[in-house]
Amino acid sequence: MSDNHRTDSDILLDIRGLKTYFHLDEGTVRAVDGVDFTVPRGTTIGIVGESGCGKSVTAFSILQLVERPGRIEEGSIVLNTGGQNRVDIAALEHDSEELRQIRGKDIAMIFQEPMTSLSMMYTVGFQMAEAIRLHMDVSKEEARDRAIEMLQAVGIPRPEQRFDAYPFELSGGMRQRVMIAMALSCDPMLLIADEPTTALDVTTQAQILELMQRLQEEFGMAIMLITHDLGVVAEMCSEVVVMYLGEVVEQADVDTIFHNPQHPYTQALLESIPRLGHSHEGRLNPILGSVPDPYHRPSGCPFHPRCTQVITGRCETVHPEISQLDPRHTVRCLLHEEPHG
Amino acid sequence: MADTAAASGKAPLLKVEDLRKHFPIRQGFFGRVVAQVRAVDGVTFDVYPGETMAVVGESGCGKTTAGRCLVRAFEPTGGSIVYRNRNGQEVALDSLDNKELKPVRRELRMIFQDPFSSLNPRMTVMDIIGDPLKVHRIASGSELEDRVADMLLRVGLRPEYMRRYPHAFSGGQRQRIGIAKALILSPQLVVADEAVSALDVSVQAQILNLLQDLQAEFNLTYVFIAHDLSVVEYIANRVSVMYVGKLVEKAATDELYHNPKHPYTEALLSAVPRPDPRERSQRIVLEGDVPDPAHPPSGCYFHPRCRYAQDVCATETPELRPIGEGHEVACHLAEDLDLRGITDLVPRD
Amino acid sequence: MTATPHAATPSALPPIETPEAQDDVRLLVAGQWQLMWWRFRKHKVAMAATAISLLIYLVAVFAEFLAPLPRDYYAADYTFAPPQGIKWFLENEFGNREFRPHMLGYTVEIEAVALRRVFTPDPEQVIELGFFVDGLEEYRLLGIFPTRKHLFGPKDPTQPFYLIGADKLGQDLYSRLIYGTRISMTIGLVGVTLSLVLGILLGGVSGLLGGTVDNIIQRVIEFIRSVPSIPLWMGLSAALPDDWDALKRYFAITVILSIVGWTGLARVVRGRFLSLREEDFVMSARLDGVSELGIILRYMLPSFLSHIIASVTLSIPGMIIAETSLSFLGLGLRPPVVSWGVLLRDAQNVRAIATAPWLLIAAIPVVVSVLALNYVGDGLRDAVDPYSR
Repeated sequence: MSDNHRTDSDILLDIRGLKTYFHLDEGTVRAVDGVDFTVPRGTTIGIVGESGCGKSVTAFSILQLVERPGRIEEGSIVLNTGGQNRVDIAALEHDSEELRQIRGKDIAMIFQEPMTSLSMMYTVGFQMAEAIRLHMDVSKEEARDRAIEMLQAVGIPRPEQRFDAYPFELSGGMRQRVMIAMALSCDPMLLIADEPTTALDVTTQAQILELMQRLQEEFGMAIMLITHDLGVVAEMCSEVVVMYLGEVVEQADVDTIFHNPQHPYTQALLESIPRLGHSHEGRLNPILGSVPDPYHRPSGCPFHPRCTQVITGRCETVHPEISQLDPRHTVRCLLHEEPHG
Repeated sequence: MADTAAASGKAPLLKVEDLRKHFPIRQGFFGRVVAQVRAVDGVTFDVYPGETMAVVGESGCGKTTAGRCLVRAFEPTGGSIVYRNRNGQEVALDSLDNKELKPVRRELRMIFQDPFSSLNPRMTVMDIIGDPLKVHRIASGSELEDRVADMLLRVGLRPEYMRRYPHAFSGGQRQRIGIAKALILSPQLVVADEAVSALDVSVQAQILNLLQDLQAEFNLTYVFIAHDLSVVEYIANRVSVMYVGKLVEKAATDELYHNPKHPYTEALLSAVPRPDPRERSQRIVLEGDVPDPAHPPSGCYFHPRCRYAQDVCATETPELRPIGEGHEVACHLAEDLDLRGITDLVPRD
Repeated sequence: MTATPHAATPSALPPIETPEAQDDVRLLVAGQWQLMWWRFRKHKVAMAATAISLLIYLVAVFAEFLAPLPRDYYAADYTFAPPQGIKWFLENEFGNREFRPHMLGYTVEIEAVALRRVFTPDPEQVIELGFFVDGLEEYRLLGIFPTRKHLFGPKDPTQPFYLIGADKLGQDLYSRLIYGTRISMTIGLVGVTLSLVLGILLGGVSGLLGGTVDNIIQRVIEFIRSVPSIPLWMGLSAALPDDWDALKRYFAITVILSIVGWTGLARVVRGRFLSLREEDFVMSARLDGVSELGIILRYMLPSFLSHIIASVTLSIPGMIIAETSLSFLGLGLRPPVVSWGVLLRDAQNVRAIATAPWLLIAAIPVVVSVLALNYVGDGLRDAVDPYSR
């Protein structure tokens, strides 16, 4: 997180005006409602927010994995695989060969619950080798060697034996390691990690976070880390995107987010969490109310009913635009709109 | 907050001694018992009136099972639980049958982790909260309604909502309903099992504050079971750390967090991610996984993952022993180790 | 949208309430049956199937009124008479066409070689039809009101009336199908009721007590389910004494059907008990001091009553098919009892079908009712758990 002037080719993924809606009988849920952000090469960007803020749907949209009744309505997701090689993923056909090549090869994803994405019927090694052979032109033996090498890289002891293990024979932490090994086996440029440690215990979480950091150094991929845990974000990320009800409310480098947050939601979120070693500072400062249900999206700024700095008469009606506070700090709040134009 | 009731010489509200709960593993056509899962295996602690005693540990460490034994949702396999009831009589909870337990159940309540599965979706909020009053023949009819309304207000919900069903509420609101249900019988002791871990971060703080306010208002004693050490530090007076069915360390919160004596506690504290990029901690990453409680390792259960382990650790099981004022630890090497607490883990500026 | 000031709470921050629209409030205070109904209503096929099923049961209830002819009326002259077909217009004496529904009578010739009756419609014999006509015999509507009226039929009840043909005794197939509805549809209900009692009892005992009792009941269920059902039914019904009257036989057959039927329900009940026992809200009730009986009646039963209803609905078609098959094979109900299976039995041999293909029409109500009830059951099954996420 050094330079303030990123050139175009440093941007790996550029998301502009992404809207993903779910058309349900009860009404339309605007799960992602105009999201813009960029993922620079080789860095870790954190997407934080509470349940229903659209962080997971954003991730699924990037791989066009949103299933009906969900649909990407608008926006572009431009992947820059190097040089002039740009693809707008949002414009690709649902089952096109191109999209399939991007999934798993250029962009890999790991999920909160590794069990759901590993088949119980096949050995870990078989599934890994299959994935490798799908994206790389290698023989069976080479795929096997690559898979074992990857299992080794993610710190699985005795990888030759674990190659033939079934997923249910592994512990939760081991499964998440296998998922990571599988995701990284085709050397992706971007790893999307959707709550990768939420289902794990703290000590296992520490193992996985450590592993991800080490692998990033080794492989140089960018990581998009989706989590609700501000602690994990602070430890892992260099940039942070804060989402609320399908919108990006604030985006900045990690130090700014934690030490100079400008959006009232970010501020409130940081004040509401208990911090180790700060218990003597008195009561916690919770955010009022709870995240509204998706069918009752508040008018104006979606955060205004819970906001302590609400401008009565404005926030209820005016939907704030994004204000650029400095080159790498944007916020979507009326408090910042006027002074900065 | 560290001045615990223990120090002030009050008699404990709950005395748990050598509590054990084993689950048989059955196999085959006739369900032969092939092994025992020692979910809780010899746990000893006291809970003093008015305090919050936290039990922490990772999944599978037995903390939830222990909590459920305390409220006698489970029947303990062995050990004793002595509870001092409101009249000052000591009751041996472990040996009571269902009928004898009924009066105790008024004073000993539980808050569940999952606000979705712990409320019967087919009952209205009034029936959910009011049912304990009916069962114990404390109130009925309009009196019951008034008490439920009053309780709803105290937990921060509108009394008008009492005709609604649980599906009408958000996770945080449901947890408030769960708390109201637990407190409607004016209990002495409340076991809160991961009461905030299923909630959104912003709502979690509301519930933690609420629990503290209610504790002050109703003079409650909490046994707070959790895995999140930052939450525990905020709410607990004393903390017991569990690992594979056993207590490994027990101390006042400040003491435990700043001066841990067990290598597992140290690792646990170091693993908590800090919500501040300037405090990126030096994690102590433990090798391997929590052992299977059906087949625990020899000696100290933690020795295969412990970076300080000596030969003795593999052969002899350490007992929980006092190591300072209200501080107990089960480690052979406790005196010789210089372990890092939360402040040592953070690079100072 | 403002946060309403709250009545004093000790200090905890009251959550902000978003005001709800009127229709939302309806949802918030809706109980499980209301929610189930809303969800079921969305299932269009199930709704249509429900209407059809209700219609079929109405036919069963008002069979005497809907059938133009008495159940056992026969006319040897009209053996295998073909369907007459309704003609709508009739020329009156002035040569104008007039709307007067009617049928044509037959001229009957006996073919010399085959000794078969050949029916040809005779334009001279006009059989006029009407609504609410008097029938041949007096009957009691719903078993109470004596009347002769029928929904429709020939204005002169002595004239031949074969809307969809006659069987070998010259009985009106249409009337007999209507009477058959009563037996075929109720045998399902009675059989299911019996299985339900057995299923809930044994499944409940199995799920609640567990241990050895559970083990024994489960092994028994496995044994019963492993015996092929048709041979089992055949064996059992072959054992019924031949001299039993129709009513006795009817009940014996329902008992035989439910001997196999209860096992499925018992498994559903046991499964629900086992899973509910682990639910947090059940443990919570136990900690409230609710008695075991109270937990079963007030917490567990309401939670799976809807599942039971769905399972029951889904098992009625099986019973209908079983009755039909047994009667078709001659092992179930026998004439003079009229059921769809009994009627289909007439269509057992090739000769009968060649002479009177309309006898196969008896299969249509079986198919329709089984399909309809299956769809109703499907719809219910999808709707029973409105709380699943």
